[in-house]
Amino acid sequence: MHKDNETCVQRARFFFNFFEKPKETSPFDQIVKVKQVKPEAVRDLNKFLTSRLERIATMMELLTEVHNDWAITGKKDYILMETESYDFNSALQILKDHAFDDSEFILKVEYTRKWGVL
Amino acid sequence: MAEFPNYLVRIRVVPLLSLSLKYWSYQNKCDKGLEKERDKPLGYVSTVKKSTAPSGGWSDLWKQEDYWAMWLGLTIVLLAIAFWSIGNNFMNWIVLKIPNYSDYRTAISYISSHKSAILALYLFFLILFSIAVKVLTGEVQRYLVGFTFLFSMSILVSMWGSWDVMKRYNFETPLLALVVGLVISNFLKIPYWLSTALQTQFYVKTGIVLMGASLPFTLIVQAGSTAFAQATIISLATFLTIYWTGTRVFALDKRFAATLAAGGSICGVSASIAIGGTVKAEKQHVSIAISLVILWSIVMIFILPLSIKALNILPGPAGAWIGTAEFADAPGMAAAAAINEQAIKTFTLMKVVGRDMFIGIWCFIMALTSITRWDKRYTGTNPNALDIWIRFPKFVLGFIVASIIITILAASANGVTSKAIDNNILNPISELRNWTFIFTFLSIGLSSRLKELASVGWKPFAAFTAGVLINIPLGYLLSVVIMGNYWITIK
Repeated sequence: MHKDNETCVQRARFFFNFFEKPKETSPFDQIVKVKQVKPEAVRDLNKFLTSRLERIATMMELLTEVHNDWAITGKKDYILMETESYDFNSALQILKDHAFDDSEFILKVEYTRKWGVL
Repeated sequence: MAEFPNYLVRIRVVPLLSLSLKYWSYQNKCDKGLEKERDKPLGYVSTVKKSTAPSGGWSDLWKQEDYWAMWLGLTIVLLAIAFWSIGNNFMNWIVLKIPNYSDYRTAISYISSHKSAILALYLFFLILFSIAVKVLTGEVQRYLVGFTFLFSMSILVSMWGSWDVMKRYNFETPLLALVVGLVISNFLKIPYWLSTALQTQFYVKTGIVLMGASLPFTLIVQAGSTAFAQATIISLATFLTIYWTGTRVFALDKRFAATLAAGGSICGVSASIAIGGTVKAEKQHVSIAISLVILWSIVMIFILPLSIKALNILPGPAGAWIGTAEFADAPGMAAAAAINEQAIKTFTLMKVVGRDMFIGIWCFIMALTSITRWDKRYTGTNPNALDIWIRFPKFVLGFIVASIIITILAASANGVTSKAIDNNILNPISELRNWTFIFTFLSIGLSSRLKELASVGWKPFAAFTAGVLINIPLGYLLSVVIMGNYWITIK
């Protein structure tokens, strides 16, 4: 289909959770609402967060280097990066090329009609 | 060339048009930088360069078209009640209903004697819609000119549609509006400023909210469950047909096939974009699905009313059949409006209550399917029940609220007040609704370039058509043969 005939707008939304990573047990489980928290659990959380936040920052840099139209919102426990002008597959490829796999972020894609389309 | 009729000068329609044409010519000179934008055939792209804005939060209440349709529709309902309660006849005064005529002088005379009301009606809609446009796109100036042209065309089409020759050949105003729009858009280039006013979805959603006021809430609940059951059977059969044909026969990508199937079975474009996002289909595939939905929807606007008349189907079952056979609200409303008011009611119950409302549930199911049965990409994106609410078409809330408001009002009235409510609240709301539908039908025609819509490739077209061939006879069987006696009673 010709690009000019596209009838929708794609919004790619990347969620980077600080405290969780799918396929991994969150170190928070050893701390939050636990009766006898061990110092080791706190050190594990430190290691996890240090590594995780660094990876999130690297992913953000990669995405902002290849495209300059991101809405980046900070939330209580995650960063949200959204764009309507960059295809999600291209963004995924960039992250994959730099050894980031699907478990390090949550991707949601939304489509909306172009304003005025039936 | 025939002499320009004097009567058209007298009734002030031509000055409105000539003003629009002068601005058309002026804008053509000014908008040279927008050549590329004007050449885009489908939808319109705002000239206001916007960066991606953060989504979510309370701002959706004023940033989404669905919510604006709800606000404006409910505003009209409340205004009608307010004016009636203070004894003011404003709402009845502004609504025009051009009488049927055989002699054109009758129509001219009616328009001449209602010049002030025409102007008031025009300003009423312009002010309401401009508020929404200002927030949604910011392009109020262009919208002002575009809407003036659209309104003028609506008057002319309404006049033409009231001519008894048109009635004799069953060329009702909705079909006429669509044909006029299609002829103009497929043979002439639509200027950019006009495309800003062709907000098909916005007008039809506002009209559907107003439609809620003419349906008792008890009827919506009672008939809605019947409509849901019927629509679900047909939707499932159509979805599976398109999906199976797309994947097994034409080897289309699963996500593409699911997006196509959703558009052809659930609720048209809304379903395609919702499912397309849920299963992460490619942008081009979603665009193709949307184009096919639009193309077939326009074809159905003509096929369904003709079939209904040929088969002598009564209006109630006819509207229900359109509700299952049509893919999108706006074209379905055009087809139902070509029958009569009863068909519009049963169409709305079937399409809006029976199908549109449940898109969120379909998305949830498709998300589960894509994650558990297809390749396990994107871990962490487990389906969230909250998505059912996120996907829920918010304008349907307005439809339900409008119904509840009028139901409560009518229930608390005695016989005399009830008649007054019919004459002073329901009647003007219905007539204003009809005007939003005329804007819708003209917009469908003026924004649909059939050649571009058809350039989608034969495989998706064939897969979609397979679903159509199941959908139509199954819809006829359920709506007319099996449940026909039920839909006849919905008035």
